[in-house]
Amino acid sequence: MRNTLAIAWREIQAYFTSPLAYVVIGVFLALSGYFFWAGLLRFSELCLRYGNNPYISQQLNVNDMVIRPHFGTMGIIFLLMIPVITMRLLAEERRTGTAELLFTCPVTSGQVVLGKYLGASVLLLVMIAVTLTYPLLVAGGGTAPDMGPTLIGYLGILLMGLSFLGIGLLISSLTENQVVAAVGAFGVLLILWVINWVASSATATLASIINNFTNGLWDTLGLPLGGPTLGDLINQLSITWHSQDFQKGLLDTQHIVFYASVVFLSLFVTQRVIESRRWR
Amino acid sequence: MLEVVGITKVYGGRRAVDDLTFSVARGEILGFLGPNGAGKTTTMRILTGFVPPTSGTATIDGFDVQDQPLEVKRRIGYLPEHPPLYNEMLVRSYLNFVATIRGVPRRQITRRVDGAIERCGLNEVAGRLIGNLSKGFQQRVGLAQAILHDPDLLILDEPTVGLDPSQIRDIRQLIKSFAGEHTVILSTHILAEVTMTCNRVLIINEGRKAATDTLERLAARGVRRPRVALHLGRSADVAARTIGAISGVVGVERDDGQEGRFVIEMAEGQDAREEIAALAVREGWGLLEMRPLARSLEDIFIEIIGGRAS
Repeated sequence: MRNTLAIAWREIQAYFTSPLAYVVIGVFLALSGYFFWAGLLRFSELCLRYGNNPYISQQLNVNDMVIRPHFGTMGIIFLLMIPVITMRLLAEERRTGTAELLFTCPVTSGQVVLGKYLGASVLLLVMIAVTLTYPLLVAGGGTAPDMGPTLIGYLGILLMGLSFLGIGLLISSLTENQVVAAVGAFGVLLILWVINWVASSATATLASIINNFTNGLWDTLGLPLGGPTLGDLINQLSITWHSQDFQKGLLDTQHIVFYASVVFLSLFVTQRVIESRRWR
Repeated sequence: MLEVVGITKVYGGRRAVDDLTFSVARGEILGFLGPNGAGKTTTMRILTGFVPPTSGTATIDGFDVQDQPLEVKRRIGYLPEHPPLYNEMLVRSYLNFVATIRGVPRRQITRRVDGAIERCGLNEVAGRLIGNLSKGFQQRVGLAQAILHDPDLLILDEPTVGLDPSQIRDIRQLIKSFAGEHTVILSTHILAEVTMTCNRVLIINEGRKAATDTLERLAARGVRRPRVALHLGRSADVAARTIGAISGVVGVERDDGQEGRFVIEMAEGQDAREEIAALAVREGWGLLEMRPLARSLEDIFIEIIGGRAS
């Protein structure tokens, strides 16, 4: 535990003594702040325009129209920025030779992985925590957002960010080159982001491919084209799909389990990668 | 203290270390010598548990590097070839970090870090960013990092490479000061370094042990056939022949074809210098210089390496 915390603390120091943390936090706040503000402007304009129309003004809801899109944009910014946060974690260690220090100290590779992950998580926490002020600022102005769903949305975006960090760390363990680590992590995250786009037609596509190559094996076996099949599996892999309920303010354990599994699995594989690299 | 039995490391079909066996006693400074690519770094990485050996065992204080890596790592201090420094950290906070993960008890950290800073002469730079330090200071920070936790065994991979002569002297003195309390293994391809710091030398070549001995005994290998360099002012072709006729002289060669310069080799236990001098004076060759050629450690080293390779 002491080793893990020491490594995490060193990581935090490294983030905050280099410009990286400030640039990442600054750009993140500027972008998310801009989007939040733009959403708020649009919302207030709609309120003004339809304020005396009782039917429409009933539908105008700050949670739905400002807070929810806020989580969506934060997710997209994470998609672009978390690879930058994670790229150096293990790749740099390997390139500069400090890995040789860590792995000749009485420290296990699991402690190294966990420490690195915790350090990056603290940066993520800082980023997210500062944006908590956005809904709080609005709360003072009459159209107070409902804090329950807002906090659940924050939990969702935090879990999503944590799972991104896990995947980024894993990619960082595979290479010595930071740029490769960043591009690789971005690619993997983007795929997981849009993987559910093909979900609805996935089964039919797979069936036709298999039919083409095996002379209609799929049809011969009488496998169905509809129902809970490949599409659902692909949906389950989608990082965005799992975040949607959180953004609506719904707390569903299956999504928490999903994100926790992504984190656990990526940390576990990272540790295995580090161990296996010693043998090469 | 350290027992290495038959370690072998194969990298993609190439044997970087091949069946290497040696041991080091407590308090000894072992010089680990070999040409570049001989397997020095790989051996050290195996000893520190950074890289697992393909076969063979290494035990430190009775703990096996493979089976009880944490126990072993607690007992060693390691300075890799490139000092493992975080450029964006301050010297002191870096040393604090290393002390923590090396397992120094919390209460002793400040004292140990201060001690290492003092010992490695880092007082003036303790508050500076490591990335801004000169190579010499960075090397010292690397050394301070390795001795922080007062390890039983100190493993230094080419600790003086890339330093200027006065820095090299400082580092050597520092290493010497560890003798006795710590066991030190020091790798280098600079022979002078071994002469100045080590009690014992292990020469490896192409992953195999080429020789292991104390310095005195290694040096003694070279003095069997005394040789003399001779410089004559007015050389004559007869000179070589006449000198060759003196009893005890085995061979006379022109030294790199230079005018008037010869290298004379004498039989074991013979010394014909007096006769040669007398002869040169009598014949009026104009004796300018005559000096004994002691075989340097370099020659012995090259002979050992070459003997193995052929």
